This record gives sequence, structure tokens and C-alpha cells, in this order.
Amino acid sequence: MSMTENYPTVYSVSQVTSLVRSALDERLPSRLSVRGQITNWTAAASGHAYFGLKDQNALLGCVMWKSRLAAVRFRPENGLEVIATGAVDVYPPHGKYQLIADQLEPAGVGELHLAFEQMVKRLQQQGLFRSEHKKPLPAYPGRIGIITSESGAAVHDIAKSIHDRWPPAKLFLYPVPVQGAGAAEAIAKAVNDVNRRNARLRLELVIVGRGGGSLEDLWAFNEEVVARAIFDSNIPVISAVGHEVDTTIADLVADARASTPTRAGVAAVPDAAEVLAGLKHNESALRSRLVWILDRCREHLKTVRASGVFRDPMLTVRIREQRLDELAPTLANCLRQLLSRAAAALQGCSEKVLRIEPHRLVGARKVQLGDLVGRFRASVEKRLDAARLALSASENRLAALDPRAVLKRGYSMTTTKTGLLVTSPDDVSAGDGIVTELAGRNFIESTVVKKYR
Amino acid sequence: MKLAMKDIENLSFEEAIKALTDIVSKVETGQIALQESLAQYEKGMLLIRHCRGILKKAEQRIEKISTEPDTAGPKEDA
Repeated sequence: MSMTENYPTVYSVSQVTSLVRSALDERLPSRLSVRGQITNWTAAASGHAYFGLKDQNALLGCVMWKSRLAAVRFRPENGLEVIATGAVDVYPPHGKYQLIADQLEPAGVGELHLAFEQMVKRLQQQGLFRSEHKKPLPAYPGRIGIITSESGAAVHDIAKSIHDRWPPAKLFLYPVPVQGAGAAEAIAKAVNDVNRRNARLRLELVIVGRGGGSLEDLWAFNEEVVARAIFDSNIPVISAVGHEVDTTIADLVADARASTPTRAGVAAVPDAAEVLAGLKHNESALRSRLVWILDRCREHLKTVRASGVFRDPMLTVRIREQRLDELAPTLANCLRQLLSRAAAALQGCSEKVLRIEPHRLVGARKVQLGDLVGRFRASVEKRLDAARLALSASENRLAALDPRAVLKRGYSMTTTKTGLLVTSPDDVSAGDGIVTELAGRNFIESTVVKKYR
Repeated sequence: MKLAMKDIENLSFEEAIKALTDIVSKVETGQIALQESLAQYEKGMLLIRHCRGILKKAEQRIEKISTEPDTAGPKEDA
């Protein structure tokens, strides 16, 4: 009948979105809580967080604005089962609905418990609780800083527990709020502040603490900023928070912990009574030791005085004299022995000399000489005979060669009166006397009458 | 000894205890001359007196640290 029946109304995108939104507003409670597992958690640069909540079958997009996120004390992580509370709204640009969460809490466990567990795990991984970072506490601290509330009972509990044990300690209170907004930051600032100013403050130890309370009340001591400040402190820090059963992050990161403020003294200072007892012990030890040393010295002196040197000073001289007396005869004996040995040696020598007998010696030499003379003569004689023999032989041979030998056979030899041999008529002149030799050395003297040729 | 006494007065408890411990162990080892051990004994007694004095003079007071760092001198130096 009408156009509208045949052609349904055409909406703009925005109109549909607007219709969906009003439908949602109409049908959904203005605030609702949704339980699901966190997925795709994204912390944007703006500070807002975008994430999804899912169960086995469905996924719900969620957003949490920065301002609301700051109030969440645990760390939302993917896979964590949470309950998110807020309003479901439509996000027109993407055409999707989402939960604008203004509250987020872990499902099953308390938020603070989860936050604590997460913080322990995280700081443990970063090594803040490691024992090698624990600083040694001073043995006898003189100046101790206390960071706690000025109005609470804790400051008096801490002071009393310290002074009861160790009266000379000087305590310095740095008042801070210990719970509520800004408490953690104030505590951290106090720790940093005393460290920075310690050249003047000269604190040897700092105690950070407060009395017991709910987990919420103690929360400041679980904040990371406090943990960091304690970790960075150059002054050793003792934490003294809450009751015996409470453990805080501050306890874990501090160099030592006291289970309660009233027991801070046990962790912080020595017991003066024990120290006095130690002093007394030292005193008596010193005294008895000294008495012992004196006794020993006295004893020693006694022994020395009792020794021979002091009893009879001349004793050593006498002992030496005695020794001399012993030695003197020995020396004489030695001398005597030496002399007699020399005499014996001399005697031996002279006997040997006497045994020499010179006459016999001369006789023997004479015989020897005579013998030699005889042998000499004989040998000379023999040589002479030989020489004689040789000589007569030579004479005979020579006689054969005698020019006068021919004279025996009737030859003669003529010489001048002067003895010159005449071999030619020229050797003489008529009237010269000549001498003619005949055998047997017989001579005829004659005168040359005539020469012939 | 006068000078030593004055020196001892200025020692902190910790320093005095350490000096005392040193003396006790030195004297106890016995490897020390008589004259020296007498001097050490006297010094040890002075140290003990000084330590006891510190414990007795305790004032038991709490001072407050100024939380405004730039104000005139904090009381802790008083």
C-alpha cells in the first residue's frame, strides 16, 4: 500500500550505530562486572590500556583509561583471570562495542596478594634480594636514623628496644607518613635524603618501619619505589614493619629485618649487658695474663739468681785454673817425649855413621885401583906389541923400496961434494970432486977428469 | 700516658673495642716484653674504662631530622 512497506527505511551508518547504542543502554545495566581472561593487553603511549577479556566461546574488547589504571596495584598480564567492572559502550569509528572498565581485580585471589606476589617475583628476577647485596651492619652503631611516622607507636617501640639494649645509641627520627596516598614516595624520598645528607648526619644505620596493620595499611612498604630506595642506600637499612607474620618487600630488600618495631633493637644494636660482660672478661683476662707474665719473670729472675755465676762468681775462674793445672803436666810430658824421640833419632844416625869403616873402604878401593892399573897396562902392552909388529912390517916393506938396495947388486950412486945427486954430466965440471957411494955405505972420492957424451 | 688517655677519649666505641681486642690478643700470645705488657695492660684498662663510660653516659634521646634539607643546620650536629 505504501512505499514504505515495499521499500524499507535506509539508515545511515551513524543512525544504526546510534540505534545499537540506545538498544544497549536500554537492555544492559549501566554498570556490570565481567569475569574473563586477559588477552592482548596493550599499554598505549597515552597511558590508556586496551585489552580483551575472553572465555571459551567469546571475546569482549575492553579499554581502561589512564586515570583508572593508576589505581590498579597488581600488574594485569595476559592469561590472568580478572573481574573487570564498567559500562559497555559502542565505539562508533570501529563499529564495535567494548567495555569501558573503571575497576580491575584479580579473580579468586585478593588484588594486593597478587600484586605482592608479582612484585616479589619481579624484584627477585632483578636480583634485589640477593644476599651479596646485603651490607654488613655496624657492630656498635652510635648514630641510628629512624624513618617512620612521628605520631605512631612504632617510633617509641623502636627507640625503647634500642635504648634498652644499647643506651649510648643516638637516634634520629625522619618523620614520614607510613600509609595512604604518597606514603611510599615519602618513605623512598626519606631514605634517599638521609643518604644524600649523610656527610653531616653521619648515620651508621637506618631503620625503616611502622607498626602492624592490614595489608592495605602496610602497602607502602611493598611499593617498588621504597624497595629501590632501600636497595640503593649506602647506609645499611633494617626494616621493621608490622607484626611477626607480615613480610613486606621492604623486609626482603633490606640488609636485615626485625620482625616487629619492638624487636628492632635486637637486629640493630648489641646488648650492653653482654658487651659489659665481655669487657669484664677482657679485664680479668688481661689482669691474669699480666700476673702470669710477672710470675714467670719473677721465676726466671729467681733461676738466674740461683745460678752458679751469682752463687760463686770466682767459680768459673777456678774451673779454668783447674783445667790449666791439668794441662800443664801434659804439656811437660809432651816436651819430654819430643826430646827423647829426637835423641833416639840422633843415636840411630850416629850408629849408621860408625858402621861405615873407612880402612876397609880404602883397601877395597886400592884393590880396585890395582886391578884397573893392571888391566890398563896389559891393554897398553898389547897395543904396543901390535904397533911394533906393524912397524917392522912397514920397515921391511920400506927397506925393499930403499934406493941404496940396488947398490948391493954392484950399482953405485954419485953425488957432488955438497951431496947433490949427479944424474947428468952437466951436473959437474972437470976438476970437481965427486963422491961415489957403494953398497954398505962405502964411499970413493974422485976427481972429474973428462966428460963424455 | 696523658696523651694516650686523651687519644682514648676520642675513640668511638667500635674503635675502642677493636683496640682492646688487639691488646688482649697481643698480651695473651705472651710474645711481648714485660715493660711493654705493663704499658699495654694500662692502656687496656683505660680502654675498658672508656667503653664503660660510653655505656654509662648514654642520654637516651631522639632527635628529629629536619625534612627540609635546605633549612639552617639540622639539629643532629648539636
